[in-house]
Amino acid sequence: MANITFVEASGQSTTVNLADGWSLMQGATANGIDGILGECGGSCACATCHCYVDESRLGDLSPASEGELAMLENVAAERRPNSRLACQIKASAALEGLLVHLPATQE
Amino acid sequence: MFSFDPYSPAVDADPFPYYKHLRDVAPCFWSPEAQMWVLSRYTDIVTALNDWETYSSASGNLMTELPGRAGATLGSSDPPKHDRMRALIQHAFMKRNLLALEEPIRAIAQQVFGQLKGVKQFDFKEVSSQFTVKVLMAALGLPMGDEAIVDEQTVRDNAVLMVQSDARTRAKGPEHIAAYNWMQEYASKVIAMRKAEPRNDLISNFAMAEIDGDRLDDREVLLTTTTLIMAGVESMGGFMMMFAYNLATFDEARKAVVANPELLPDAIEESLRFNTSAQRFRRRLMKDVTLHGQTMKTGDFVCLAYGSGNRDERQYPNPDAYDISRKPRGHLGFGGGVHACLGTAIARLAVKIAFDEFHKVVPEYHRVADQLPWMPSSTFRSPLVLELAV
Repeated sequence: MANITFVEASGQSTTVNLADGWSLMQGATANGIDGILGECGGSCACATCHCYVDESRLGDLSPASEGELAMLENVAAERRPNSRLACQIKASAALEGLLVHLPATQE
Repeated sequence: MFSFDPYSPAVDADPFPYYKHLRDVAPCFWSPEAQMWVLSRYTDIVTALNDWETYSSASGNLMTELPGRAGATLGSSDPPKHDRMRALIQHAFMKRNLLALEEPIRAIAQQVFGQLKGVKQFDFKEVSSQFTVKVLMAALGLPMGDEAIVDEQTVRDNAVLMVQSDARTRAKGPEHIAAYNWMQEYASKVIAMRKAEPRNDLISNFAMAEIDGDRLDDREVLLTTTTLIMAGVESMGGFMMMFAYNLATFDEARKAVVANPELLPDAIEESLRFNTSAQRFRRRLMKDVTLHGQTMKTGDFVCLAYGSGNRDERQYPNPDAYDISRKPRGHLGFGGGVHACLGTAIARLAVKIAFDEFHKVVPEYHRVADQLPWMPSSTFRSPLVLELAV
């Protein structure tokens, strides 16, 4: 389990408790967080679950795969060094307290 | 004694009371009839979809699998093989790459639904299946017009038949296998045509696609093409039937989307939640899993009942209401995780355009029959006939 805090572009902050193995995208959409769309359902095919991960915690995440890096080229908002796709980040105890900012637009 | 038999006509017709019992009383249920476990709660299904290492698709993802198919298609393979194949073809299915199809799809919709002008009663299946086959032919690049090698109706009939199973024998019958074999032969002819003279269409693209010198082998191209035709005709056609069924049943929802077509996307999402045509898919366990006091063993098959997770009151309040203002985020109408439907963007686009044009010709309609004949399928659910009257 991990508590993950999503901060939407509006400043709205929501903390959700995610079971191990759930993707951050699925955790966000299942908990009514609007700043993530996840149109493709989590198959790394649409770039609408773009998020900015707290930079100090990047090392706690598995690195982005080639597929994710390629898909990040398609994000609608500005791509930054801490840009990730939330469908590719899986919750685990290592991510406890992670802060994730969401962009103003996903499409 | 409760039983859940995904091959029974009663489940084809109305699975929802069974699902409710499964979720409340037996959320990890062994079905002797199906010879598999059934997971019915939203969170359990999402957990399984996220964990492909445990819940493998490599032994097939259809509840009743077709011979020789498992392991060679996107839906029936696991990463890393799955990711390689998906990388080769998913580009074409991204929303921004479908924009060029918008006008052709609208032209098809206008032509097909235009036939209903002045008609008082019709079977929606007639128009929805014409529309889906034409859209699919345009999107995949199946030969049409002078180039056509068979007529549309034949493609349609075989695609519909190959996903069904025999209600009595609980297996694919000879007619279903024959349809599947026909589709493979058809696909192989199309692939040969496109390889000889590649064009800018999906089949040409993925038959020739290359990443770092890696290409799909002939069997992968063939079975993936066959699956795309099946998924396109059956899943999109089935979903359109369910959407029309909902709008014909719930007057207020229909009136709202007819008055304001911008509400169509919300109504489509709610239909995907409320009664998606993709009701149940299966996985196979790669290790023992204990859930709700039951231990499922390595090698056991597990049914993920998307249609039930979508009605789980633990996730969606008042789940049995069709409410187009719900915005049902995270629904399982397209599955989820690495195997989430490849065609989400084209399905959403095509169905929105279809109903926009359909409603311009037929803004008022209702169901003629109360009881409908439902397709015999352990995986998909949609009516075989949907008579509508204006």
